[in-house]
Amino acid sequence: MKWFINSMLGYWILLLAVSLGAAAVVYEIWLKGRV
Amino acid sequence: MFDFAIAGVEAPIFLLAVVGFTVGIVGGFIGVGGGYMVTPALIVFGFPGYMASGIDMTHIAGKGLVSSVRHRQLGNIDWTLALSMIAGTMLGVEMGVRLLVYFKHLGISGVVLLATSVALMFTLFLYTQIETRRAHKQLAELEKQGKQVGRELQTSSLPRLFQSIPLAPIVRCRTARVIVSMWVIVLVGMVTGVLAGFLGVGGGFVRVPALVYMVGASTHVAVGTDLVEIVISGAYGALRHSIEGNVDFMAVLFMIVGAMFGAQVGSIATSFVRGPAIRYILSYSLILATLGATLRLVYVLTGQNVHWLALTAVMLTLGEMIFLCLFISSLVYFAVRRRGGKWVPDWVGPLVI
Repeated sequence: MKWFINSMLGYWILLLAVSLGAAAVVYEIWLKGRV
Repeated sequence: MFDFAIAGVEAPIFLLAVVGFTVGIVGGFIGVGGGYMVTPALIVFGFPGYMASGIDMTHIAGKGLVSSVRHRQLGNIDWTLALSMIAGTMLGVEMGVRLLVYFKHLGISGVVLLATSVALMFTLFLYTQIETRRAHKQLAELEKQGKQVGRELQTSSLPRLFQSIPLAPIVRCRTARVIVSMWVIVLVGMVTGVLAGFLGVGGGFVRVPALVYMVGASTHVAVGTDLVEIVISGAYGALRHSIEGNVDFMAVLFMIVGAMFGAQVGSIATSFVRGPAIRYILSYSLILATLGATLRLVYVLTGQNVHWLALTAVMLTLGEMIFLCLFISSLVYFAVRRRGGKWVPDWVGPLVI
């Protein structure tokens, strides 16, 4: 877990995963069936 | 859900304001309008393409104005640079639009546009990423040696090359601390204008690297100066779209409420970081936009039948905005921690002030 904070690449991957997860939640709640 | 009568769609107000807010942060921080994020997002929300483009352009003009005012207060705008560039930008946009019409006559505009976008954004990403990594390493070494480091360091040799062109008139850009031939500035405006006109975008993601790597402006000044260009081109685009009836002002209103706050946050955030941090975020924005455009290109080339490609592009568009905002916010958070003498990861130190 420390690698995700201490390495720039790790932090990049961590944030991207969180962001895509948040995007999936937005899609499920508001956009499913509209796209 | 709100019924947007002019656009003829129902869309969640909350999401429009959030998109405005997030793109406002990103735009204020890296000096782009964010059309490559907003237009696909609006299409995802159900707005027709022409309407998405009109709403996007109108909100960019308003948001750009807010960011420009804030960057002016931070001393990040070089007016000589901005005003010299406008003539070239206008000429370039006209040439770009004519080029686009030519390709449309050939019947290949869609694929050509996407392929050009992908190639251009990927090239810019590679150059910015390689140069910024070098600058990041140098900053880390200088800090290790205990030397005083300013807010800018860039390692490209291109600015020296362009600054040595002896074509009169030579102008002194006081804020950018650059002495360069005015023709170089006009050329930068024209080339980025052609790309903007051809690709149908504001051109910020090309102009900011061009100002840094060709003219030699610091990243902060490049961002502030570019936002002035965005206000002018955005206002013109907003006027044209409004005349054509492509703008739903209720949608613009909801987006601009979020964007006004976001633009302030993004602009102020630049005062917490060094130039390479802004260039990193710009390069991340470029690679994510490249991925999105590649997915759309593959979707078009496969006859628009592969549904998962479209869905992935949607997720990437939304995810990109959240990712960039989180990265910017965390840089500011780390900068505040560092100022307070608290622990931050090693890679963050050279990037924040």
